[in-house]
Amino acid sequence: MNVEITVPSDPLIRVSDVTKLYDGGGQPAVDAVSLAVGVGEAVAVMGPSGSGKSTLLNLIAGLDRPTSGIVTVAGQRIDKLSETGAARFRRQRIGMIFQFFNLLDDLTVADNVLLPAQLAGMPKARARARLTELLATLRIERHRDAYPGRLSGGERQRVAIARALVNSPALLLADEPTGALDTATGEEIGQLLLDLNAAGQTLVLVTHNQQLAVRYASRTVTLVDGRIASEVNSQVAGHAAALVQR
Amino acid sequence: MRASPVRRAIRGGLKRRWVPTLVIALVLLASTGASVLALGLIVDSSAPFDHAFAAQNGAHAEVIVNSALATPAELAATRKLLEVTATAGPFAEVAISPNQGGYPLGPMTIVGRASPGGPVDDLTLQSGHWATKPGQIVMASDPAPGESIMLPLGSRISVTGGPGSPQLTIVGFANSVTSTAAGWVVPSEIASLTAAGAPTSSQLLYRFASASTAAEVRADVAAVSAALPPGTVAGVQSYLTVKTQETGNVAPFVPFLVAFGLIGLVMSVLIVANVVSGAVVAGYRRIGILKSIGFTPGQVVAAYTGQVLVPAVAGCLGGVVLGNLLAIPLLIKTAQVLGSGRLIVPVSVDVAVPAAMLALVGIAAMAPAARAGRMGAVQAIAAGRAPNQGRGYAAHRFLAKLRLPRPVTVGLAAPFARPARTAGTLVAILLGATAVTFAVGLSTSLRLVVAGLSHDQTLPVQVSLANGNNIGPAGQRAIVAALRAQPGTQHLVAEADDQATMPGLSRQINVTAFGGNATWTGYDIVSGHWYTGPGQADVATGFLTATGTAVGDTVMIGLDGRQIPVRIVGEVFDSANRGIDMITSTQTVAAAGPSQTEPYQYDVGLRPGTSAATYAQALSSRLGASYSAQVNNRQSTVVNLMVAIIGMLTLMLAVVAGLGVLNTIVMHTRERVHDLGVFKAIGMTPPQMITMVICWVAATGLVAGLLAVPIGIGVHRYVLPVMASAADLALPASFLNVYGGLEMAGLALAGVVIAVVGALLPAGWAARIRTATALHAE
Repeated sequence: MNVEITVPSDPLIRVSDVTKLYDGGGQPAVDAVSLAVGVGEAVAVMGPSGSGKSTLLNLIAGLDRPTSGIVTVAGQRIDKLSETGAARFRRQRIGMIFQFFNLLDDLTVADNVLLPAQLAGMPKARARARLTELLATLRIERHRDAYPGRLSGGERQRVAIARALVNSPALLLADEPTGALDTATGEEIGQLLLDLNAAGQTLVLVTHNQQLAVRYASRTVTLVDGRIASEVNSQVAGHAAALVQR
Repeated sequence: MRASPVRRAIRGGLKRRWVPTLVIALVLLASTGASVLALGLIVDSSAPFDHAFAAQNGAHAEVIVNSALATPAELAATRKLLEVTATAGPFAEVAISPNQGGYPLGPMTIVGRASPGGPVDDLTLQSGHWATKPGQIVMASDPAPGESIMLPLGSRISVTGGPGSPQLTIVGFANSVTSTAAGWVVPSEIASLTAAGAPTSSQLLYRFASASTAAEVRADVAAVSAALPPGTVAGVQSYLTVKTQETGNVAPFVPFLVAFGLIGLVMSVLIVANVVSGAVVAGYRRIGILKSIGFTPGQVVAAYTGQVLVPAVAGCLGGVVLGNLLAIPLLIKTAQVLGSGRLIVPVSVDVAVPAAMLALVGIAAMAPAARAGRMGAVQAIAAGRAPNQGRGYAAHRFLAKLRLPRPVTVGLAAPFARPARTAGTLVAILLGATAVTFAVGLSTSLRLVVAGLSHDQTLPVQVSLANGNNIGPAGQRAIVAALRAQPGTQHLVAEADDQATMPGLSRQINVTAFGGNATWTGYDIVSGHWYTGPGQADVATGFLTATGTAVGDTVMIGLDGRQIPVRIVGEVFDSANRGIDMITSTQTVAAAGPSQTEPYQYDVGLRPGTSAATYAQALSSRLGASYSAQVNNRQSTVVNLMVAIIGMLTLMLAVVAGLGVLNTIVMHTRERVHDLGVFKAIGMTPPQMITMVICWVAATGLVAGLLAVPIGIGVHRYVLPVMASAADLALPASFLNVYGGLEMAGLALAGVVIAVVGALLPAGWAARIRTATALHAE
C-alpha cells in the first residue's frame, strides 16, 4: 500500500537512479533506486536480508561508489569525490553508527569520541567542550576514561552516537543501531535517536525492526532485491503491519 | 593422485599468505647466499695449502741457525724435544745475487740438500731432476714473492760474490709448500757460493705435535731455541705466516663475509619466527576450522611448518646458486694465488649451509606451530572471532596528549599492542641498519686503505726513466731542475728501489730509499715514527711478522753483498712485496755502493688545485721521450671487488630487513582490518591512513637505527682489523675512525628509512581497503 510522499523541495540527500553492482556481477545490490531525504527528516530503510539496505547506506555515506546514478548529500555529489574527498566530506557532514558499535578497543571513550574531531582538525578546546557536552547529553560522562570493552552494549552504542555527533554532522546514518541490544536498551537508544531527530538532526536508519521504524522514523522505504518496493509514511506502514499481524 | 590434507592445507596457506611466503624465500636467499660465499672461500682458500702441506709434511717452522754457534750434536738434540715430532736438516744455506748474461736476477736464498725427500718438507719435483753434482741447481717452481725467475730448464746463471763466480745450470724445478728456498744445490756447492767472511747459516725444519696456532708455534720454537746455545737461532719462519701470505688476497674477504653471513642468519631466524607467529595468530580461526574438520595437532604443526619450509627450501636453493655465482670471481683469484687450478665452492659447503639454514628455520617455525597444534578447535575459532585484546593502552593515552596529528599518535601507539612482534621487527631492522652502518664504515676504510697503499692522493705523479738507464748525477740534477720549474710542483723526492736479504728470511726485502725529505709521501704510520736519519728505517707489518722483529730492533740486511745494520723506528701501512718492505733514506743504503742510491723514479706532490693529468701531460712534453711522467692512479681490484660485494650484501640485508617490516605491517593490517574500516568510516583520509600505518613502524625503525649505529661501529672496529690481519697488515687508527658526527646522524636514520620503505607498500594497501568490506571483516 503506497501513500503519496511529499518529496522535499531542497533535500539533504538526493539519490537519483542509483545502481550498484559488485565485482562478481550478477544481481545488482541496489537497482535504479531514487530517494530524497529532507533536512530534519527521519527515514527508515527496511527490507529483508540481502535487499540492499546497507549498500544504500554505504552509498549515501560515501563508503562505496555507485555503478551508475548520482548521490548528492548537502549539495555535494559524493559519488564523484575521491577517496580523500569522501573521507573529508564524511567526517564533516556525516555521522555513522553501527549495529556492532565499531568502537576502537584500545582507545578510551573520550579518545574514541574525539577521534573524528581530531581528524577534522577541530581546535583542542572546542573538541574537549563538545566531548563534555555529548557525554553529558548521552549520560555516559562517568565512562569518559573507560575502555569500550568494559561497557555494556547500550553504553557502547551511546559512545558510538557521541562519536558520530562530535563534528555536528548534517546527517546521521544508523545501520541497525539496536540490532545488537536487548529490548530495553534498544528502546533507550531508539528514544535517543528520536530526541536527536526532534532537535533537528536528519536521520537515516536501516533496520529490520518495523516497530523501530514506525516509532522513530517519519517515513519508511522498503527495499526488496535492491529496488524500492514501497515508500510510505511510517504511521501508515505501522498500521498496515498491524493489520497483517491480525 | 590426491593430495594429502596437510599438503592441501600447506598449498592453501601459501596461496593466501603470499607476502610472508615471499619474505621467507628472499630472507633465506640472502642469508644462504652470504653464508655459502663465506664458507666456500674459507674452505677453498685454506684447502689447497692444507692439502699440499699435509702431502709434503710441510715444516711447521723453518729455523735459521748460526752454524758457528752450535755443534751438530746440539742441533741434533733438538729432535728429542717433547714438542718435536719430526725434523729435517740442518741444511746449509746462503743468500746469492745471481745474474744471467750480466742481467741481475736479484738476491735469493739457496739451500744445500742432497735429496728432495725427507720426513719434513718433502719437496715435489715438478720437472727435470734433482741436483746430483756441483754446478747444478733446482729452482723453486713456486718461489716466494720477488724471487720469481722465469728461466727454462738448462739455463745457466752466474753467481757473483762467491769464490770463483760459479756457474749453475738449472736442472729441475721443485715446489716447497712453505717456500723454504728459492733454489737447491748439492750441499757441497754452498761453500763455493758463500762470500769470504760471510756468516754461515743453516736451516732446520721442524714439525711439532701442536702447531695449529701462532702461539703454539712460538712456544715450540722457544723450546727449540732454549735447547741451543744463546744466539744460535737467527731467524724463524712459521708455516702460518706463509699460509697467510699465500691466501693474502682472499683471506681478508672472509671476516666481513662471515659478519654479513651471521647478520643474515640471525635475521632469517627472527623473521621466520615472526612470520610463523604472525601466521598462527592471524590464522586462529583457520586453525580452529582445520581442527574441527579432523586435523590432528601433528597435522596442524606439519601444515604450518610446511608453509615455512616450502619457501625456505626455495630460498636456500636460490641462495646456494647465488653464493656460487658470487664466489666465481673470488675463487678465480684464489686459484691464481694458490696456483691450484680451477676452484669451485666445495659440495660439502653447498649441502651443509642450506641444511643448517633449514634446520634453524624449522626450529624457529616449530614453536609457534606447536602452539597452534595445542589449541582447541573452539578456542581457536573463538580467539579468531573475538576482537583483539589490545595492549598498549597507556601508550595510547600518553601519545594522545602530545601535540601531534592524531593519525601519527595512533600509529605510534600500535607497536605497544604486540610487544613480541615489535621486538622481532626491531631486531630485524636493527640488523639491517647495523649492516648499513658497518658497510658504510667498511667502504670508507677500504677507500682509505686503497689511498694509503697507492699514495695517489699524496704523490699523484711519478716520473721514471723510460728505458731504465742510469742518468748519472748530471742527469739527476737536470731532471730535478725541470721538475722544480714545472708549475704546480709542491714536493719532489727521488726514490731508489732495491732488493735485500736478511738472515732467516727466505724472501727478499723490498727496500725503498728516498733521496730527500719524504715525510709528505703519505705512508701512514701504524706505530713508532718516520725515519729521521741514516741507519733508520720504517717497515711494513708483513716485515715485522715474517722476521719476528719489532719497532726498536736493529736488523742486518744484505744489500749487494754487504751487510748493513738498520734500526727499525716505525711500522708503516704498506703491502708492497706482501709487506716485506723497508722504507729508508738513500744515506742508509749508500754503504752498499753508489748504485743503491741511483733514483728509480721521482715522486711529485702537487699544489692544491693542480690537475695531475694536465701536470703529467705538460711534464711529458717538456721532458721528452726519455722520461715517463705518469699519473699515480693505481686501483686495487681486490678492494674494488670487496666494495662491490659489500654493497651488494648490504643492499640484500637492507632489503631483507625491509621485507621483514613489510611482513609485519601486512600481518598487522590483516589483524586490524576492521579497525582500519572504522578509521575510514569516521573520516580518516587515505594519506592520513598511510601516515598512521607508517607510524606503526617508524618509531621502531628510529630506535633500531639509533641502536644500530654503535653496534655497526663496533662490528666495523672488530672486523676491519681482523681483515687487515688476514692480509698481514696493521691499520693506522685513522682508518678505523671513519664515522663523523653528521655521518652517524645520517646512519641513525637508516632504520627509519628501512622501516618506512618496508611499510609504504602495505600502507598503500591499507589506504585502499574497501571500508564497507573492512567493517564486516572479523
